[in-house]
Amino acid sequence: MNTQAISAALTLPAVQGFVNDHAWVWPVCEMFHYLGMSLIVGLIGTLDLRILGMFKILPIGSLKPFVPLAIVGFIGNLVSGIVFVTGNATGAEFYVENLSFQLKVVMLLLAFVNLVIFQVTGLEKAVYGVPAGGDAPAAAKAIAVLSLFAWAFTIVFGRLLMYNDTLLLFLGL
Amino acid sequence: MLENSALAVWVRESPSIFAYTLVLSLHAIGLAMVVGTNTLIALRLLGFAQGMPLGALRRLYKTIWAGFLVNAVSGVLLFIAEARSMAVMPAFWGKLVFVAVGMFVAVKLKRGHLDDESALASGVVTPPMRTLAKISLVCWAFALVIGRLTGYPELVTAWFGI
Repeated sequence: MNTQAISAALTLPAVQGFVNDHAWVWPVCEMFHYLGMSLIVGLIGTLDLRILGMFKILPIGSLKPFVPLAIVGFIGNLVSGIVFVTGNATGAEFYVENLSFQLKVVMLLLAFVNLVIFQVTGLEKAVYGVPAGGDAPAAAKAIAVLSLFAWAFTIVFGRLLMYNDTLLLFLGL
Repeated sequence: MLENSALAVWVRESPSIFAYTLVLSLHAIGLAMVVGTNTLIALRLLGFAQGMPLGALRRLYKTIWAGFLVNAVSGVLLFIAEARSMAVMPAFWGKLVFVAVGMFVAVKLKRGHLDDESALASGVVTPPMRTLAKISLVCWAFALVIGRLTGYPELVTAWFGI
């Protein structure tokens, strides 16, 4: 499947029409996108930093109730993100053919694979059992570093996608 | 005048990825650190994640200070780059007010309550703490919403007549 076919499949005239007819849709989706971003960074980022040894006074398991809330934030961003891609006035190719967007998707996939590894290896369970003052296993620290990296660069590439030419120039492309 | 300073011209016009785009990216990351961490603290005070010791909340301010520092610096750079249009933008000043009140509430919550670890040991969240937590949530939500509106001055004019 080439990028044109993907763009055609992801361009939804109904969403485009809705975005076009209501000036509030795009900025309101952006607000939810920033809110979801803040929840992910504030909640998952704090968990990552604790795994890395900051805020040691916290039992790691005490942060667990915040994870579902971060997932809610992520779903909000998925929905608003889908509106951006499918409802963009010039079509989904603005995103699909945009290197910054492609790299943002790679970062999201990295965060996802990282999370799956965290869960299936049993590291998540082990980490939530770490008491106040305790150290997380080294493997969990590696996962936490990857998580912080993936989310930070999800934001960076997300911001860069409106300035894709700057990224291309930087990379000499 | 600000807008024509060498620094402002560099931020605005340099084709380097380390000029406007890096500053903009850092501003988004700082925003998430400040808003996200303040939200976590407020939610804990309002009854969420009660297994989390109240005495630990003051430690999380490290993230808030770091994010605020990043955004104060990146915010000044973004402001001077577009000083003339930003200075006359109601949404910009509105956002600054909510950021200022939000930070004031965060400091008040810490100094007045969260720093007092012996009082927190009982695990009781007092009504004034809950009130500050609610104000905090509202302030950061408004700061974020109005901050986003700076990208839509024509909508602000159409909706609010300013």
